[in-house]
Amino acid sequence: MPMKTMRILLVEDTHDVGEAIAKRFEAIGHAVDWETDGRAAAEIIDFTEYSLIILDVMLPGMDGFEILKRLRRSGNAVPVLVLTARSEIEDRVGALDLGADDYLVKPFDFRELEARARVLIRRRTGGEATNLIKCGDIAIDRGARSVHVGKREVQLKRRELTLLEVMAARPGRVFSKDELLDQIFGFDEAANANAIELYVGRLRKKLEGAQARIVTVRGLGYQLVAGDAA
Amino acid sequence: MQHEPSLFARLARRISLVLGIGAAILVSAAWYYAETAADKAYDRLLVGAALQMAESLSVERGALSARLPTSAFELLGLAERDRIFYRVIDTNGKTVTGYDDLQNPAPPDGARDAVSISEGIYKGEAVRIARATRVLADPSVTGHAYVVVAQTNEARSALTRELTLRATILVVVMSFLAFAGAMLAIRYALQPVERLGAAVRRRDPHDLTPVSVGVPRELDPFVSSINHFMGRLNERVDLLQRFIADAAHQIRTPLTALSAQIDLLGHDKLDKTGRQHFERVQQRTGELARLTNQLLSHAMVIHRADSIQLEPISLVDVARRAYRAAIPITVDPDIVISFEAPDDRPFVLGDAVSLREAIVNVIDNALRHGTDQRLEVRVRSDALDAYVEVEDDGPGIPPEGWEKATQRFATSKSHEGSSGLGFAIAQEVVNAHGGTLGFRARDEKSFTVILTLPLHKGPAK
Amino acid sequence: MMKRFTAALIATILALTSQVLAATDNHTRFPALQTETGKLTIYSTTDLAAMKPLIDDFQRTAPGISIDYIEYLTNELHALASEACRKDEPLGDLLLSSSVDQLLKLANDGCAASHTSPETLRVADWANWRDEVFGFTYEPAVFVYNTRKVPPAEVPRTHVELADLLRERLDYYRGHVGTYDIRLSGIGYLLAFNDARQTNTVFGRLLESMARASAVARCCTGEILEEVASGRLYIGYNMLGSYAYDAARRHPDLRVVVPRDYTLVLSRGALIPKSAERSDLGAQFLDYLLSERGQSIARSNAFYFSETGGLPPDVDGPQNLKESGIAQPIRIGPGLLAVQDWAQRQRFIEDWSRSLIELNSPEWTRE
Repeated sequence: MPMKTMRILLVEDTHDVGEAIAKRFEAIGHAVDWETDGRAAAEIIDFTEYSLIILDVMLPGMDGFEILKRLRRSGNAVPVLVLTARSEIEDRVGALDLGADDYLVKPFDFRELEARARVLIRRRTGGEATNLIKCGDIAIDRGARSVHVGKREVQLKRRELTLLEVMAARPGRVFSKDELLDQIFGFDEAANANAIELYVGRLRKKLEGAQARIVTVRGLGYQLVAGDAA
Repeated sequence: MQHEPSLFARLARRISLVLGIGAAILVSAAWYYAETAADKAYDRLLVGAALQMAESLSVERGALSARLPTSAFELLGLAERDRIFYRVIDTNGKTVTGYDDLQNPAPPDGARDAVSISEGIYKGEAVRIARATRVLADPSVTGHAYVVVAQTNEARSALTRELTLRATILVVVMSFLAFAGAMLAIRYALQPVERLGAAVRRRDPHDLTPVSVGVPRELDPFVSSINHFMGRLNERVDLLQRFIADAAHQIRTPLTALSAQIDLLGHDKLDKTGRQHFERVQQRTGELARLTNQLLSHAMVIHRADSIQLEPISLVDVARRAYRAAIPITVDPDIVISFEAPDDRPFVLGDAVSLREAIVNVIDNALRHGTDQRLEVRVRSDALDAYVEVEDDGPGIPPEGWEKATQRFATSKSHEGSSGLGFAIAQEVVNAHGGTLGFRARDEKSFTVILTLPLHKGPAK
Repeated sequence: MMKRFTAALIATILALTSQVLAATDNHTRFPALQTETGKLTIYSTTDLAAMKPLIDDFQRTAPGISIDYIEYLTNELHALASEACRKDEPLGDLLLSSSVDQLLKLANDGCAASHTSPETLRVADWANWRDEVFGFTYEPAVFVYNTRKVPPAEVPRTHVELADLLRERLDYYRGHVGTYDIRLSGIGYLLAFNDARQTNTVFGRLLESMARASAVARCCTGEILEEVASGRLYIGYNMLGSYAYDAARRHPDLRVVVPRDYTLVLSRGALIPKSAERSDLGAQFLDYLLSERGQSIARSNAFYFSETGGLPPDVDGPQNLKESGIAQPIRIGPGLLAVQDWAQRQRFIEDWSRSLIELNSPEWTRE
């Protein structure tokens, strides 16, 4: 998925790791500034604006926590993803307490890193919407990006969530497949109507047990109805 | 450990021994003094009577004559039950009157005292004998005349007995008072020891801070030994903690570098065989990473079980965090994954970090080995316990393998190279929390791992 | 009378030569009321007449016991008992003697067995020594007179009055006053000795008056009482109250006076010999004597006087001896040893004889 070029700061002193991360993000079209020294990184942050900072904890010069602390003290809200090799969960907890947005424990899956980074970047660009959409017993928290069916919190993938958001915004309205395609994939992404059927299928499965449900309107498309009565 | 009698019992025994010996000595002394006193008292009567009798001697018509005064006998009669024997001996050694077989004791060392006292036997009875000497200088009768008065010892013995008995009662009462007082004093003196013991007993086993109970000087070495030991233990624990952290860092960094390099390698450039090898390397590296994580995690939870104080925590919060951490973003989108929590927030006494590690491992295990289409994480509670249930629709573990499942490196799916540490970690953690790890298989499509933890009834922190 | 006295003298001599007594007229046997289970032997100085009611009543309480009652004069009995004790031979199961000083001497010499029972606890302190010698009667030493011979105005009520009366009416009373011969009677000696202790001057005066009045000395109470009753003697001095009262009941002319200045009170003594064969029976009889029942019989039939009760009727004297404070009980205790001291006794009797007998009673010089 091609996306807007983002500027990412990577602070990682292990050369092999830093190189791989930098290459991976550059490969998907982002600009990566790679620093190996904590102090230098802290200085760069002061005058450069980034979309994401990937921060290792153990650093020469100044450790990741210190950088994070300074960053948040100066009011910078840039998303930070902390990498840690120390098994101690204090690292993780500490990182979250100090204002990290997410963390990964080394060794990690590079695809997972990429996915998490994407989530953070999107959350940033998508704004801080905290509005809650409800349709029957389905509740969508756009800020927390979570979906509840009754008491059950259901894990949805990004596109499934987008699909549900679109349909839940106007319950009862029938959306055609093309309409949904545009909403979910944008115009620049190659996808066909089959993809919509796939997502609708998954969504139905994940919302199983809810009173609200996605109804297929033959020949027209899909609609979300609040409950049995509707 | 050999069980020595308590300090209290030892002191009590010693003190009662000392008091007993003391009492015995005192009673003996009392008996001795009582006897002396009784002898003194009744000797006065005896001497008085002897002197009175001696006084009554006179020379009549050239012969010694005795007009024994009744008062002398009445004086002796003050010892009501004692028999009285007397003899008056004239200057020629002839008996003037009285019992002529009564001995005339020679005064010891030839003393020429007017009165002498001695012990003797008369008519088969022990008697006390007083002899009064009267020097006569009458022209017809010249020399020493004697009055010998003997008295049995009944009154003396009775008085001795009575005095001794009274003294004994006093001694016994005093001994009991002293004993009771000593026991109270010992109890009081031993209180700090009991306080210290109670403080040590009450301590959380994970609390390695110095003991801060105020104790008397005598117990200082004991307390400082405890504190020294605690300090060392604490250092060891810290060292171990640092070691685990360092080891984690030291192992993970090159491991991360390794997977980073593999990632860089890319598989597009390889031919088919090369790609196969590449994928296997990638897979094995992933396993290595996971195994490392689990090993470190295992070391960590064991360490924490020994060193972290439990505190009330919300099980829902912990489980939700674990749920978020355990489900990767890159998970297969076809799997229905859900988290369900009750309205009330059950609290358990626990270590949030370890518990989360346990739940993460169970979920991770389910994702890797169980889940086909569905993974459900639930938190619920009843009157006594709180439960975290991780249910998947995989084949699960057959009941006969449940016991083995929680053992380290045991797995039902060895061909997949699973480390099998997940359940071991979870087991370790719930056990340290006083809970249990259980399994439930409903049918082919439902296998549940249940972590049961006792509910915390107290106030949440 | 004289015959009996002579027999007693012979008995004394026999006893002193350790001969077994063969006399039969002093021996009375009380067969058991039922089948005999035990034989109690009592050696006594008390007249059988006085003891008989008690013995009869005792046998009612213990019908299986036969009793040998053997009578002696006090001095005889003492001599016998001392001898038996010295030789460790049995002599009866119970000794009864009005001469308690002799019993006390026996006890002091270790011839008595101790006995305690609920009954002995009732005995007054002054009448119990070592639980060996018990006083079981309460007998004042009294004057007796013949009403036909002594006009009411002249009846002496104190020792001083008696002495004065004898001095003032010397001629009338000469040869008509009787008392114990203390050479023969232990009880006479005991009373005289205690008289001397009470008031030396009064006793001296009385002795002198009696001597001048040619007082006659007799061995036994009975003789004097009979002589007073018959009128041969006008006044008897230091008679045992019980015998005197008994005689007064039989002879209307005989009157009893309890002296009002002081009254010696004698308690007859009982002692269980150490070597008694049936000391249990002795103790049983002793307990009976001390018991309420025995005391009551004694009061009504034998000894008439008691420590607590009033005087018997027709006795001239204070209403209640004890309360009037004139009673001088002769304490049963070591003080009696002084009485028993033979040197003392010898001299006392010598003095007494010299003043009373030798000077005025030539008929008694045969000793």
